[in-house]
Amino acid sequence: MSDAVATQAEPAESRTAPAGSAKTLLTRRRTYVITACALLLLALPFYLDRFWLQAGLFAMAAAIGAIGLNLLTGATGQLSMGHAFFLAVGAYGYCVFAGERGQEINGLGLPPWLAAVLAVLVAGVAGGLFSPIAGRLKGAYLGIATLALIFIGQHVLFNAENLTGGANGRDVPAMSLFGLTFDESEITVANVPFGSAEKLWYLGLVLTLGCGLFARGVLRGRPGRAMNAIRDHRIAAGVLGVPVARYRGAVFVLSSMYAGLAGVLLALVFQRTVPDYFGITLSLEYLAMIVIGGLGSVAGAVVGAAFVSLLPQLLTRYSDALPLVSAPGTGGVAPGEASRYLYGAAVVAVVLFLPGGLVQLAARRARKHPQEDA
Amino acid sequence: MTARNPRNRTRTLTATAVAALLALTAACSSKAKDGGDDDKQSAGGVKTGQGISGKTIDLGVLTDMTGVYATLGKSVTQAQQLYVKQVNADGGICGYQLKLTVRDHGYDPQKAVAGYTELAPKVLGFTQFIGSPFVAAVKQRIDGQDKGLVLPQAWSAHLLGSPYVRVIGSTYDIETINAIDFLMKEKGLQKGDKLGHVYFEGDYGENALQGSKYMADKAGLTVVEQKIKPTDNDMTAQVAALKKAGVKGIVISAGPRQAASLVGVAAAAKLNVPVIGNNSAFAPQLLATQAGPALEKNYWVASPSLPIGADTAEAKKLVADYRKAYPKDSLDNGVVAGWTAASVFGEALKKACESKDLTREGVDKALLTLSSFDNGFGVDQDFSDPKAPSSHQSVILQPDKSAVGGMKVVRQPGEAEQAASYTPSAS
Repeated sequence: MSDAVATQAEPAESRTAPAGSAKTLLTRRRTYVITACALLLLALPFYLDRFWLQAGLFAMAAAIGAIGLNLLTGATGQLSMGHAFFLAVGAYGYCVFAGERGQEINGLGLPPWLAAVLAVLVAGVAGGLFSPIAGRLKGAYLGIATLALIFIGQHVLFNAENLTGGANGRDVPAMSLFGLTFDESEITVANVPFGSAEKLWYLGLVLTLGCGLFARGVLRGRPGRAMNAIRDHRIAAGVLGVPVARYRGAVFVLSSMYAGLAGVLLALVFQRTVPDYFGITLSLEYLAMIVIGGLGSVAGAVVGAAFVSLLPQLLTRYSDALPLVSAPGTGGVAPGEASRYLYGAAVVAVVLFLPGGLVQLAARRARKHPQEDA
Repeated sequence: MTARNPRNRTRTLTATAVAALLALTAACSSKAKDGGDDDKQSAGGVKTGQGISGKTIDLGVLTDMTGVYATLGKSVTQAQQLYVKQVNADGGICGYQLKLTVRDHGYDPQKAVAGYTELAPKVLGFTQFIGSPFVAAVKQRIDGQDKGLVLPQAWSAHLLGSPYVRVIGSTYDIETINAIDFLMKEKGLQKGDKLGHVYFEGDYGENALQGSKYMADKAGLTVVEQKIKPTDNDMTAQVAALKKAGVKGIVISAGPRQAASLVGVAAAAKLNVPVIGNNSAFAPQLLATQAGPALEKNYWVASPSLPIGADTAEAKKLVADYRKAYPKDSLDNGVVAGWTAASVFGEALKKACESKDLTREGVDKALLTLSSFDNGFGVDQDFSDPKAPSSHQSVILQPDKSAVGGMKVVRQPGEAEQAASYTPSAS
């Protein structure tokens, strides 16, 4: 998924590069790497199994959510444990807006694209309702306050049965955009049948790219500098004229909207939303993503999201081939357990040896070859 | 212009590359359709399809060996592996060897859906799928395109209705009706009495509650509901509330820990009413705890089949074989459930073999012809109607330290008259 980061870099690059440096753009290796990665990402649905596409889609959804959390936690220094709640608002919001009114389940039956936009807005509104708290509390205190959201959310998801479908969740209506429906009906492109995963792949790419670019713009502009100032020294930021409370509230809303969009994409991939998923573990996973990837940057969030969401799936898939694993029942480590140990070890290793996150690796490389990235 | 030229070149290059890639795609992607049908005809005239390669039938297992249902998942999976081993040793089915591919999802929806996506194109069907929310999550795909047989290890009436997802044994609502019938006929619960029902939030508990409400309505009881979360382990508050309400019997649709706590606390609080649980509300390990004596005295369990320690030849053979294969592991009802599911699948395969059609469609059809299947655990299973559970019967068991698997039978398989008239509502 580092390819996705690279893809995002492309347009920004061409915008900032003065016309005369087009030649240097061509001589840089980076341009070619980026183009190759972009092409690779576009071509993947033609070759990969549904399993891989689905894993990639989970990673893209996670990337969008993690970018949002990184704006809040990485860039502004506000800890949120309630990210899973906003994901749930997005996922269930989409289902409610787009779903048909059923016998036991309510739905508004709106067009799916409108439902997705509304779901993101509702997530934003939910964040906005929380912003009186989010604007006043800092760091770990906000973390504790947002913890409450998870428990409220879980209770509502399990019990508001005519909206959420209760413990068994509810079906997610397929996305439909410009006459193209992202469901299982197959269309054939270049002799390859395109099901929902293949179609969603491109939607996911577009959304991830858009979200990444937007966040990059925010981080590189005045708001980003203000956010970093708040993180590094709240009082100094206030003295400089940054409205601290308003900024904190606004970032919280923005981060909830990112989470909402991630929730919509997740719901589309899952095809059914289940309340168990949106628990405290999910919030912790998102925190793990940005810490592992690298705090405060878009690239960090994307890399971390790919790492955290792909690794367990890969380890489970290849659990039979892992070293030191015995068949279930013979004593010793079962494949599922082994994959959990390895995942834990990988997380600890990254945090120990790369305290700046996985993006630090890229930064190190850039320092060694300054001519490439000057 | 000189400055623009290289940019143009890049574009041309990109465009060429994309075109080349697309051409390549069409030519060599393994996903490209070759126009032929997947169904093959083997030497013996048996039609085969997805999930069969060479002389092997691939079967999927989506289990939970590291999450909340770890103990159940382990027993079920090991029993199924034992079944496959024995079948293969006897020459397989139809000349094909069976092969199980196990994926442990640890009760994580993302891993469960990923596991299904990975295995679905490769296997003929699933002999095990733990977690009814996850079965529900992929149900659209099972019914819509995959159409492979899936045997979930869950007994919720929500799962009924699909021709491909088949619940084995009675569902929780019917089991609860039978349990209350036992309390009324043999434990002195009477018309007009109050009945406590402690249940898990979620489809297991809520499905059981549907049963108890139906039974209360028919038999003139009042249900006192106590909803708990799977993380609640101390039942003191529930016992106090039920005692205050003056209940004459208690049904518990929760986990083993909650049942042990409930029975133990009730004994300490001098609430001497009979307690009965669903089949998931007991584990033999409980008998070694402090609640053990109270459980043996005042606790019963309704189960869809005879326990592992049943007095039949098949059960005894299973116990002996399982002990030999997994000497360290305890024998519980997960072993029976897993063994039964695997043998139902095996039986369907044998029938499908007789009609020379081992495709997914053929196996689905073959299962519909199984109208009276009993593998030695006392209950006739009828798979001919996808809308109904395969049986309406329950066995009432009592914890007993001396019995194999910690349970002895106190009432043989039977069906309450109210259960016969009850139609589960799949929603």
